[in-house]
Amino acid sequence: MNGSIADVCIVGVGAVGGILAKQLTSAGLKVVAFERGPALKTAEYAQRDSISYIARPDQLEGVRHEPRIFRTSTTQPGNLRYGTSPFNVLGGSMLLWTGQASRFMPGDFKVYSNEVASGLADRAGVDLRGYDVVDWPIGYDDLEPYYERFEWEFGVAGVAGMNPFAGPRRKPYPLPPLKMTARMQLFGDAAKRLGYHPFIGPAAVTSEPYRPPAPYDTRIPERPACVYCGHCNHYGCHVNAKASTLHTAIPVALQTGNLELRTNCKVANITTDDKGMATGVKYFDPNGVLQEQRARVVILSAFVFEHVRLLLLSKGNGKRFKKGLANSSGLVGKCFFGHGDMRVYGLFDNFIINGFIGSGAAAMRIDDFNGNNFDHTGLGFIRGGTVGCSGDGAPVSRMDIVPPDVRSWGKEYKEYFMRYYTRTFDIHMAPETLPRRDNCVDLDPRRRDRWGLPLPRVTFAFHANEKRMHLFLADIGERIFREAGASKVWTELPRPSPTRQCGGTRMGTDPNHSVVNGYCQSHDVPNLFIVGSSVFPTMSGYPATATISALAYRTAEYIERQRDWFH
Amino acid sequence: MKMKSQSSRQYRGERLQALTVRQARFIDAIAGRILPATDAPGAVEAGAVFYIDRALAGPYPHLLSRYTRGLRALDKHAKRQFGASFEKLGDEQQDSALGDLESGKIAELPNGEAFFELLRTHVLEGVFGEPSYGGNKDMIGWKLVGFPGQQWGYPETYINKAVDLPPITWEGLPKKPGQS
Repeated sequence: MNGSIADVCIVGVGAVGGILAKQLTSAGLKVVAFERGPALKTAEYAQRDSISYIARPDQLEGVRHEPRIFRTSTTQPGNLRYGTSPFNVLGGSMLLWTGQASRFMPGDFKVYSNEVASGLADRAGVDLRGYDVVDWPIGYDDLEPYYERFEWEFGVAGVAGMNPFAGPRRKPYPLPPLKMTARMQLFGDAAKRLGYHPFIGPAAVTSEPYRPPAPYDTRIPERPACVYCGHCNHYGCHVNAKASTLHTAIPVALQTGNLELRTNCKVANITTDDKGMATGVKYFDPNGVLQEQRARVVILSAFVFEHVRLLLLSKGNGKRFKKGLANSSGLVGKCFFGHGDMRVYGLFDNFIINGFIGSGAAAMRIDDFNGNNFDHTGLGFIRGGTVGCSGDGAPVSRMDIVPPDVRSWGKEYKEYFMRYYTRTFDIHMAPETLPRRDNCVDLDPRRRDRWGLPLPRVTFAFHANEKRMHLFLADIGERIFREAGASKVWTELPRPSPTRQCGGTRMGTDPNHSVVNGYCQSHDVPNLFIVGSSVFPTMSGYPATATISALAYRTAEYIERQRDWFH
Repeated sequence: MKMKSQSSRQYRGERLQALTVRQARFIDAIAGRILPATDAPGAVEAGAVFYIDRALAGPYPHLLSRYTRGLRALDKHAKRQFGASFEKLGDEQQDSALGDLESGKIAELPNGEAFFELLRTHVLEGVFGEPSYGGNKDMIGWKLVGFPGQQWGYPETYINKAVDLPPITWEGLPKKPGQS
């Protein structure tokens, strides 16, 4: 398709890009999809090797070339950060995710209305100065059919109706839950005794061999059942039980004959014409030579950092895009947020847990302290997070988890680790972060990647609402551990760096206060779409994957309907 | 710089790729305090030093100068505090010198805390990581804590029950049909 005009150019083929490619090629559109990294075989990403994937992510091919700069204030130069999300290979970080597949709750889309305008924040006694809380332009009902399609095409295991705080659903989960593990049993029993509402968290991991039935996409190949090897979070799945687009959507897209996949190609900027429409992309081919691909529609699905970077790098075109492409609002890169990575640890003298067995996403959770599900009066914060059991991991993942009263080396450490490696788990919180304009992503003025492009630079800190929420949730986790019979309990508050990053190209109805509309379409450049967690106006107390997948299905449907764009 | 002959790089029956024999011996002395042998073997027996040697010869050559500088400062500190090289000190004195490194009290080494953290992390990775990276000999580290290694999967979830499977590496797994 070189030299000709593609119907659609997709930049980044992970969870979102894979779904978009399948949907659009199936609708007959000619798609050219760019992936920065290679197409790996299962044996090349699923060695389940703790040195490569836990200790040395900076050496992974999909990580090492594009670190980001991280700093907690504008006065610091910042440090290089390497993380397995984003993972720049075909299939993206979805190859290495845990598989937590929860939908957001209905209230997660209306934080401004429900919690600010309603006066709840005042009753909570929270000072929201500096925060920029808004509603989503779409709601849970808009996404419900697409959540369902995601669950049935990717094979989500769970128990519908078990979580009293979940939004309504038309269909149950396609698969029964994964096997119960020790940590699920201990957490669930204790939470129940405390009067909470434990439920089995939905997991995009096959509890049985699975192939989507009609009316879902029956072209998706069958996947075998999970073998409970315990290598989920940060690892590739050697049996393909953990859902990824690499083994579902991407092969189907290729079969249509309408997808041209260009791996090892790095998109450098988006081109535009004198009417301000996107005309395609410029990219470095595998030999590092700059090439151009023209397209009628351009879609960015390359994660938060790359979205911001590409838009800022695509500035110019006379005066039109002098602040960056799609940035008339000045909000590209602003309101960056995520979760605090927060854990409470517990040791058990009277119970063997064997946390290295199981499926990472097989967890018992409670939503009693998530979102707006509890009374915040006088608490000094709004929102919350899901609370659940976790704690999978080979010894390399666990070797730095040491109680505060134990020295981290020597005989005492050795005795501790020998006794408790099999007798511990974590309670993991997903405290959400409210958006602020001073938490942001921009371009580093000095440091560049291997293609000579400026690295993305993050400036981020937690503020009063988050800090109070962290302490509150720590107390909940510690209470559950004590009830479960843990002999020692301690908390690790989040480091000042959010996980599950979101924001930077906010979605909204007003072009002055948002970058894209409810269909992930740029307000300024109507044939440019930005899809992924970067469009979230606010976070939820859940991970993003189910929601970005639902947004991808919904955006694809919207693009398919614009028949006049494609003649 | 003169090339060293191959025999001069032999240490505990293996050829060192980045470290000198003297450095390897020094690191072993430290490893023996970070995870000492007790009734059960420790970091020396697990061959953590060979993990570090391969890491410095492979992906982390830029850390070799940090090791060289850090070890030299630690040795100097040992001589000043206790009148002998680190390797010649008793367990308690070695722990005391390492404790000074950990708390950043070695004057010649700014940011000594970070070097201690690097040492500790590398030694423990060398005990608990996959054996293909040079350490965790005979899966000593995995046996210490009761980790059955890179099992293909588990037939059950072993709730409140010890796992009775011998540990296994990825390379040791029988090939399954359909594995690409």
